[in-house]
Amino acid sequence: MSLKYMEVGGRKIELDEDGFLKDPSTWNEEVAKILCKEECRDPDTGQMGVMKDEHWKVVKYLRQYWERFGMCPPIRMLVKETGIPLQRIYQLFPNGPAKGACRVAGAPKPTGCV
Amino acid sequence: MKGEEGVRIGDIGRREGRLIKISLSDLMPLPSPYDKPELEPALTEPKPEWSSNYVTELDGYVAIDVPWKPKGREEEEKLIEKFLEGLRKLTSREGNWTFLQPLLLSLDYCAKCQNCAEACPIYVASGRKDAYRPTYRSEVLRRIYDKYILKKPGVNIELNARTILRLGELAYRCTLCRRCVQACPLGIDNGLIAHEIRKLLSMEMGIAPTALHEKGTVLQLKTGSSTGMNPKAFMNMVNFMEDLIYEKLGRKIKIPVDEKGADVLLIHNAGEYISWPENPAAYAIILEEAGVSWTLSSELVGYDAVNYGVWYDDAQLARIAMRHIEVARKLEVKRIIIGECGHATKALLVVADRLLKDDYRIPRESVLPMLKNIVESGKLNLDPSRNNFPVTLHDPCNIVRLAGIVEPQRVILRRIAPMFREMEPHGVHNYCCGGGSGFAIMNSLNFPEWRIKVASRMKFKQILEAFKDAIDPSIPKYVCAPCSNCKGELRDLLTHYRATELYNIHYGGLAELVVNAMVDLKEPYVDFTAQ
Repeated sequence: MSLKYMEVGGRKIELDEDGFLKDPSTWNEEVAKILCKEECRDPDTGQMGVMKDEHWKVVKYLRQYWERFGMCPPIRMLVKETGIPLQRIYQLFPNGPAKGACRVAGAPKPTGCV
Repeated sequence: MKGEEGVRIGDIGRREGRLIKISLSDLMPLPSPYDKPELEPALTEPKPEWSSNYVTELDGYVAIDVPWKPKGREEEEKLIEKFLEGLRKLTSREGNWTFLQPLLLSLDYCAKCQNCAEACPIYVASGRKDAYRPTYRSEVLRRIYDKYILKKPGVNIELNARTILRLGELAYRCTLCRRCVQACPLGIDNGLIAHEIRKLLSMEMGIAPTALHEKGTVLQLKTGSSTGMNPKAFMNMVNFMEDLIYEKLGRKIKIPVDEKGADVLLIHNAGEYISWPENPAAYAIILEEAGVSWTLSSELVGYDAVNYGVWYDDAQLARIAMRHIEVARKLEVKRIIIGECGHATKALLVVADRLLKDDYRIPRESVLPMLKNIVESGKLNLDPSRNNFPVTLHDPCNIVRLAGIVEPQRVILRRIAPMFREMEPHGVHNYCCGGGSGFAIMNSLNFPEWRIKVASRMKFKQILEAFKDAIDPSIPKYVCAPCSNCKGELRDLLTHYRATELYNIHYGGLAELVVNAMVDLKEPYVDFTAQ
């Protein structure tokens, strides 16, 4: 995670030290596809950088929630709303829902006592 | 003060390279089963490019993640000038309305007996590194004060930019647990001195870790919570908890929000709603069962008890505390009760006391005595055998040593957890979880590695010792920590050592165990498969 910015469709997108988007409004699906290289794992082959339907389901739910409420939802809510069990989420996003999946969804790094 | 590295006070500004070198072989050994080297993940090196903006010259770790290194002679002189201006304010009646007297008493004289060093979990766990002694940073500040403010002759310290940079980082190598104060025969508060250095940096120089300031108090005052949770999102959390309760209890509970004239305004740490919703949901169940007149608030800041100002900045502390009081006044409640959150308890119950006059003196309490009264009242139908697993109790420093709330949580556990065992030492002699004073939420650069490896090491040792008769992975074990910050640290600690996965060690709050013992529940409330 040494990138400080990335280029997407001619746009320069800024990242913080931990690779989260500095400005969440710069997110789009192309951005997600680049972030997924470090975060998304194919649960069958173990290969990184693969974005399957289940990844998208998680990412789109998180993004939608973030746009509505300005924060990422509780993990329990994510599991309930997507119907994907927590263990499966860790198989899909080895860094976990908060550090991995939320990052791909373009949310900033979680703050506060979470 | 000569230790194995032989670091002297004057070295803080003189030495090249790192003042402290952390190595796995120096760290305090962990007990079985973590006495095997393969269970101890390796240390990493800081990235070379960090040193241009951040201070890696203390021990290679970075807590202050805002660029503050001066570039060139002029900026260095400005840094020194501002530091001295801040120190003048910190040691004057007009400039320091909170802690002037204990600060001046602590700066006055130290016998260097080093009783405090052996009481400090960071000093001991690090392998007794000289510069981590509680007296080290205090003596640096004392000498600067003596030489440059009081103009005493013959004081051996050189105030250069490196001194300030290292001292600033060093103020964030203490969790403000203040165990050292108990050990001092003269009553010197070395923890307070670390706190006052942080204050000087923030209030005079605008330097504070992002997690505490920009993404902490500033975000809380703007959005309502340091998590970024706005009132709309908070209401979404309330609905979510009502669904959760329905699932667990089999019946619906309406969680009271903004109920004017309720007896109790309960304010949780908002991190609970996101990371541990079972905890505030457990309180909703308990208070409903006990028939307490209570409410939550959906007003800005009224739903987040945190007050990170208590760790680094008195002005931010006052702003947030006043918001909490104003929310309670508007709701016309009889008292404010702070949920399972240590620093928020100390901030509003103890420190904010100096802010509040007349109508603003609303009674403020920790939730633990109320929970004890409810458990003892017999209003809940409890069957302790439902908690048929080993439980140990972590004492949050801010609730126990620093606010004197020691027994209620134990009375509860003795009633509801038949396999409850104490850690050693415990109560007011407890050790910090390692996440105190904001460390648990400071996740930038390589700081998490330092807090887990060094600051939390003593706690991990205590946990392993408390469960040594039950370490068998087939037995689930529960570390009860009635504090959000401590829970966050325990989560990271148990994850780092894969202790849940390998040895079935779990963590959680206190209210969850109470609800887990309620006979009305069909399914257990504490779910060991969830972590």
